[in-house]
Amino acid sequence: MSDVNLIILLSTISTGLILGSIFALVAVGVTIVYGSIWMPNAANGQFFVLAALLGWTMTVSWGIHPAIAALLVIGISVPLSYALEYVLVRRFYDVPNRNISYFVLSLGITQILTGIFSFTYGRWSDQFQLPPLVGGITFVGPLPVANNRLVVLALALAILASLFALLRYHRYGRAIRAVFQNRDAAALRGVNVKASYSLSFALGNAVIFAGGILFALAYSFDLTVAWTMSITAFAIMIIGGPGSVLGALIVGMVFGFTQAAVSTVASPTIAAFSYLGAMLLILLFKPSGLFAR
Amino acid sequence: MTTVAETKDPSPRSIGHGLPLACFAAVAFATPFLLSGNRYLAFVAGVTMIHILWASGMNLLYGYTGLMPLMFAGLAGISAYMVVGLTAAGWSFWLALPVGALAASIAGTILGLPSLRLKGFYFTLCSLVIQTVVTLAFVYFSGLTNGDTGISQIPLPSFAGTPLSGLAYDLVLAASAVIGVVILMVIVQSTLGRRLIAIREDDELAGMLGINVTGYKMIAFFIGSLFAGIGGALYAPYIGFISPRSFDVLISMNIWLMVAFGGRGTIWGPVIGAVLLAPLSFLLQEYYTVKDVLYGLLIIVVIVAMPGGIAGGFKRKRREAAAPVDVAASRRSVK
Amino acid sequence: MTHRKSMLTVALASASVALASAAAIAQEKPPVKIGFVTELTGAWSFFGTSCVAGLKVAEKQLNPPGKRKIEFVIADDQTSPAQAVAASRSLDVQDKVLALSGPTSSDTGLAVYGYAEQNKVPFVVPVAAFPQLTKPGTRYTFRLEPDAVGWGYAISKFVEKQKPGGKIAMIYSDYALMRAITAGIKYQGPRSGLKIVADIVFPQGSNDATVQAAQILAAAPDYVVVSGAGGFDNTITNQLLDLGIKPEQIIHPFGITTQVMNWGKRSVGSYYGTFFDSNLDSLTAEGKAFVADFTAQYDRPPSYGENFCYVTANVIREVIDANPEAADDREKFRDAMSALKTKEKTSGVPIEFDKNGARMEYMYFMQMTDVAAKTYKAKQAFYIEWDPEVIPVYTLIK
Repeated sequence: MSDVNLIILLSTISTGLILGSIFALVAVGVTIVYGSIWMPNAANGQFFVLAALLGWTMTVSWGIHPAIAALLVIGISVPLSYALEYVLVRRFYDVPNRNISYFVLSLGITQILTGIFSFTYGRWSDQFQLPPLVGGITFVGPLPVANNRLVVLALALAILASLFALLRYHRYGRAIRAVFQNRDAAALRGVNVKASYSLSFALGNAVIFAGGILFALAYSFDLTVAWTMSITAFAIMIIGGPGSVLGALIVGMVFGFTQAAVSTVASPTIAAFSYLGAMLLILLFKPSGLFAR
Repeated sequence: MTTVAETKDPSPRSIGHGLPLACFAAVAFATPFLLSGNRYLAFVAGVTMIHILWASGMNLLYGYTGLMPLMFAGLAGISAYMVVGLTAAGWSFWLALPVGALAASIAGTILGLPSLRLKGFYFTLCSLVIQTVVTLAFVYFSGLTNGDTGISQIPLPSFAGTPLSGLAYDLVLAASAVIGVVILMVIVQSTLGRRLIAIREDDELAGMLGINVTGYKMIAFFIGSLFAGIGGALYAPYIGFISPRSFDVLISMNIWLMVAFGGRGTIWGPVIGAVLLAPLSFLLQEYYTVKDVLYGLLIIVVIVAMPGGIAGGFKRKRREAAAPVDVAASRRSVK
Repeated sequence: MTHRKSMLTVALASASVALASAAAIAQEKPPVKIGFVTELTGAWSFFGTSCVAGLKVAEKQLNPPGKRKIEFVIADDQTSPAQAVAASRSLDVQDKVLALSGPTSSDTGLAVYGYAEQNKVPFVVPVAAFPQLTKPGTRYTFRLEPDAVGWGYAISKFVEKQKPGGKIAMIYSDYALMRAITAGIKYQGPRSGLKIVADIVFPQGSNDATVQAAQILAAAPDYVVVSGAGGFDNTITNQLLDLGIKPEQIIHPFGITTQVMNWGKRSVGSYYGTFFDSNLDSLTAEGKAFVADFTAQYDRPPSYGENFCYVTANVIREVIDANPEAADDREKFRDAMSALKTKEKTSGVPIEFDKNGARMEYMYFMQMTDVAAKTYKAKQAFYIEWDPEVIPVYTLIK
């Protein structure tokens, strides 16, 4: 295999890994919230961009180191989530068929955040670029990869792994999963359902924020990323099976790779059409998703 | 003004609706004359008429059949692009209009097929994906649509060889809004309307009672999309410009909001919703940035505090604090 | 004594009457209103706000005492064509403006264009490059910025000069502007003896270009034409550089100050097209003053967007000064614009419109030489002028 072809192959793999892990993070965040409180959060893309914008302000305007900024951004998401949960989300906990109410509610939040972003950050929309976490370049075979992106990849994978461990082995995780599976049974077994709801809402959003800040560290971004991300995260959640963290993880990674691979052999536009198409097919023929719980 | 006389014909049974309808028709037809001194306000009123038509179509689907199709604006776009293309190719606008509207209806019926399998949130999400694909397609097939550059300088249609004046076209828009509302009234009072409501309440039960759920849902989509299509076809020459963003998901959301805010499943609620909300983006010109935030807040208010909308609030006191917005909420409005 | 005193009084009185009436003449005519529909919010707002910044600098010395006042009524179009039409209608009907101006994005520009041509309102386009804004038959629209298909022509000529028989790769976002530029390259490139070895389009909202950068590398081009939308522009540029494409191989079809600053130090050596730059050798005294003024106020040098809006205000001033009757008559204003022969006050480039309102076109290619914290340096590498219809711009892209 010639060097250039090897570079194309390796770049497909590296892109698949980085994009895939960020997609997976956001989709896992969305799935945790949906799986527990039945809230399909269409505003996930706006949360994602909010994290990226806060990171940009902290690093570029205030001169904070990107690593510290990333931690701060993820930290900020917790009180924000609890406030939102307290004011709006908890009103619907006892409503049957609440997912559509939540869906519309989150579309409303999307519109509010879109409006706010456009008059606060809009005029800088061509300059959102964060300073790198680390400098330098590493050669993977013939392919040069920025160390910064390798660090982002490592962080994303680490967060995914610890999330998985948390949900599987820790007692909070087990409580959340019990509520995922059967709210009434969980309540009978002494799980505090409402508390686990607030916790999952905050956890899911923190994961989305983490995805946003990691994305901003690896790529330049602008305000249009929000909608693309919302739709992508939904597509991953639907295909993986709503509420299935494992599904979101696997499908998210697969998405990253397919997007990279399809755009190599066909074109980036076909790649965008293809994942929307896949989502439609799954919705039509197996709405419970590939990894239904 | 013959339309007004006609409008009273089909609803002799419903004296309850006769008076508001007469008032609405009178106001709708008087507005273009009253505002003829100011083309700008007349324009805002004309756009509102188109939104009344759209809101009535959305109301048939969302208010009476219980489906929330977020690809509604995309359907209007299909018709608008088609009509603009046909008129550019030399067709008469009045011939292109039904063809375009029919195309939107057929597209809507096909794109509505997922509703046969999917309910509530799943169908809404599906329609959101469809809307996204349609918007991408408008951009991608730039040979037909000019891509995101859009098509400008769309002329007002002519009638009997002479181009319509602004006032004449305003009257066409007023007539279409009035006819749209009348058709919705007729449907709601017919067997078709009662069956759609039965499907909205519980489609499994409706199926067991012998209602052809598949068929009726498709009919609802056909008619609802026809409203979208006619509105889209009338919209293009009125604004004089269309682009993929004229028919994107935000527009679908706005039309949905007009229905939900006004009061879904009532004839006049969505009309009030359109009259209150459609002019907003023009009248708020100076406070442009507030618009998105305001619309977003209204969506939340509707969901949290007034699931019945304005008209629902008038009709009766709400019993529950926060009723769900889909199926269960509307159970009250049925005997 | 009394006599002389009264004489003096009369003289004084008549002088003051004369002064007062001169002032009254200047005052009694209402200001000339120009509607300025531009992108203050939405996707293109960084361009619209820059444009308004340039306009504000021009407004400071636009209305010296004794001249008929010109007033710009600014309206936001939210980067939405429908909103642009609504704003135009409001400015036309409610504010009764003499002419429209302002859009910096091609789709809002086209939307206002449609309104202006249909309603016979003169329309001076500062920064929107889509060729159809001056398609044959256009009567009321005048465009200051050269059309984007023409930029493709200029880029081909530039590469032809740099490396005869060279290989070009193109990588860009799917926006009207980029489609127009690349249509020009696809037409003129082969005619200039160039070979197009890669043509990669990204749908709107894309975020990664590593794989495509590798494909570009594999095609071994001499020059890469790079144009992403918004933040994606930096992503593509950086990923090309990451993979070992040299800055000297990169041509950005257009570059404004913030973009050049974003490309940053690692892009030093790469080229960008422009129509005005603070580093030009040919700046006039007024041009230098404009750069200094603007930099003092906004903390960065202006580029072509700001300049075109600054020039737009001055062109309107010039036309109204030379034809006072055009200040209240749209047809006369249109005719005066059409007959205008002048120069950009900032750089001396001639301004002259053809029968469709397209300008005699020109383009600079600059090479970045340094990027500092708040400014950058670049040197002129190429300059070209051409007739707007040197290639069939109106049929290449619709």
